[in-house]
Amino acid sequence: MKLSFSAEDEQFREEVASWLAANLVGEFECVRGRGGPGDEHQLVEERKAWERKLHEGGWTCIGWPKEYGGRSASIEQQVIFNEEYARAGGPGRIGHIGETLAGPTIIAFGSEEQKAKYLPGILRGEEFWCQGYSEPSAGSDLANVKTKAVFDEASGKWRINGQKVWTSLAHESEYCFVIARTDPQSVGHKGLGFFLVAMDQPGVTVRPIEQITGTSEFNEVFFDDAECDASDIVGEPGEGWKVAMGLLGFERGVSTLGQQMLFQNEFDAIIKLAKENGAAQNPALRHRIAEAHIGLRIMRYNSMRMLSGGADGSLQKEAMIYKLYWASWHRNLGKLAMDVMGQESEILEDAPYELNRLQSMYLFTRSDTIYGGTNQIQRNIIAERALGMPREPRG
Amino acid sequence: MDFTFSEDQLLFRDSVRDFLVNEVTPERVRASWEKDDGRDAELWQQLAELGLCGMTVPEDFGGLGMNELDFVLLAQECGYVALPEPLVNTALVAVPVLSRLGGEAASEYLPRIASGELRVAVGCSENGLVEDAAQAGLLLWAEPEAFYVLTAEQFSTRYNPSVDPSRRLYAVELGSDAKPVATGDQAQALYQAVLDRGALGAAAQALGLAQRMIDISVQYSSERQQFGKPIGSFQAVKHHMANVAVRLEYAKAPVHRAAYALAEDAAGASEAVSHAKLVACEAANLAAKNSIQVHGAMGYTWEVDLHIFMKKAWALAGSFGDTGFHKQRIAEHIFADGAALGAGTTFA
Repeated sequence: MKLSFSAEDEQFREEVASWLAANLVGEFECVRGRGGPGDEHQLVEERKAWERKLHEGGWTCIGWPKEYGGRSASIEQQVIFNEEYARAGGPGRIGHIGETLAGPTIIAFGSEEQKAKYLPGILRGEEFWCQGYSEPSAGSDLANVKTKAVFDEASGKWRINGQKVWTSLAHESEYCFVIARTDPQSVGHKGLGFFLVAMDQPGVTVRPIEQITGTSEFNEVFFDDAECDASDIVGEPGEGWKVAMGLLGFERGVSTLGQQMLFQNEFDAIIKLAKENGAAQNPALRHRIAEAHIGLRIMRYNSMRMLSGGADGSLQKEAMIYKLYWASWHRNLGKLAMDVMGQESEILEDAPYELNRLQSMYLFTRSDTIYGGTNQIQRNIIAERALGMPREPRG
Repeated sequence: MDFTFSEDQLLFRDSVRDFLVNEVTPERVRASWEKDDGRDAELWQQLAELGLCGMTVPEDFGGLGMNELDFVLLAQECGYVALPEPLVNTALVAVPVLSRLGGEAASEYLPRIASGELRVAVGCSENGLVEDAAQAGLLLWAEPEAFYVLTAEQFSTRYNPSVDPSRRLYAVELGSDAKPVATGDQAQALYQAVLDRGALGAAAQALGLAQRMIDISVQYSSERQQFGKPIGSFQAVKHHMANVAVRLEYAKAPVHRAAYALAEDAAGASEAVSHAKLVACEAANLAAKNSIQVHGAMGYTWEVDLHIFMKKAWALAGSFGDTGFHKQRIAEHIFADGAALGAGTTFA
């Protein structure tokens, strides 16, 4: 066990910090601290430009292997990058779905052709991705996917029909990775395929969903004879579930680090407000702020423990636990933010429904415990797979 | 940055776990409850022979020369069996503190502690009561301004029964001839060392206790049938245990981080200890609450072993700084001007 960073790592930290200090200025001043959950729909063009700027400095996809344009950065370096990025007020990464989900999946399971076709756009910050998993009848029961993919021999293309829902950033994305049923007779996990589908085509319609915030970052996506090439299926027909589950593994790995630093910034904002408005003197709130700090540190330590393989064989268990932990923690943080604001929390920034950052965060965190697997589904998984309790009867 | 334990550390943990699970059965714990002094001389000798009493004693004094990080996994195992013997206080608190003090006291007493011949008790004024003070031949008593090393005739004790019948707690009164061996800054540092190591020991044991209560409850709910099915298959039951598993799994890293900080004498060690104590004791508390619920009425009986572990968790939560104390330490830390909280301060 060694809980510190090496001199080399600290030098890397210096490099990241000075690049950010020199570049997150001027035209990018406006994106400082923006984006991210609850603010994802804001300043999209500016944040896309920022992604390209990051690429110029070699700061996109740093964890990817060098052969695909990354830096093969160590876990320590990725930790440090995320820390410094957050410290500098770097905006929510609009490219994160491509960088941390689509890219690693293509690298792990994709063909050489797919790698050549899709990785460079992600790396350059020019092509953005969204995730087509949930459907109206496939929420907690994700394997109940109804969207169908049929291979059309005549055109040599896959033809996709169906509907996805809760698709973040679909309206801003060039591509979507879609799980769809390749075997129409199949049910459940079997008979699915994992497809890479271009969004800019006649067969794809995106309709924003208005959220309780009054804004829209989730969408419905309709596929009506949408097409992708024969070569745009990752793995074989029928292997879609395996690929999708592999991807979820990436989602709970390194990508957790950036999220935690956003949490840290929110927490810092709450402390700052508490000191300013006197809430820090209130023993009941002080106590809850201390609790929130403890929870944040727990997530930091556990991510690092998980990433350094330090869970003596129970890595899988830790990964299962993470979603439930952070979602519940963040939901509580939202409530804490409102309680620290006190009566002010009721007042809108402006009519008709403009929320300030903390109000928006409070509302958004109501969804944290639902998307990506509800708390209830997570508890089933933990009890049955990590603790080995009897499976509940399922229809 | 590496959060893993070495293979040697894990192997040693495994062998100690095997020994403890085989030897320190719930029946043996219950037997110790019935004894006047609550202690099992044969078991203590066995622990000494395994090298556990002297594990953190420097090699020059007949020990294995290990540190807090080496011992923390073993403290978890002591919790797992609700070990009544004061091994954690001895190896994780008294010995490192006596080693720090050094001098004649260290060279005279450490070899005798390592061999199992001398039992040592350790306490601090934050708590007042001292575990095993009447059973010990030596008492380390820490106050913020004065640190004492006292032999049995230099203090008197008054028994205070604990909710955990394994714990034998005593108020101590220092004799008129008791003189501090350290004062001022040195006493302050030793006081801090006792409090932090004691809290770490309680936290590590709480992890083991929580694991034991999960194991007992998972087994029970997989066997107990209602409505023709094991009750553990019902979500309303299994979610109770999932919640405990989350708390427990995530309390481990803070405890290990605190052990590392103490072993390395790192800055911020006290804050790390408070963090560890709070989350580990919360995990054990939730394990106790939910385990009793999962057991239904059986969980409320003296006959079922669950309460052995539940009561130790209850008792440890208040020892070496209670919840209010440790939460206050954290609040002071985060509200301090210029507090190191954000990026780059994870291990600061």
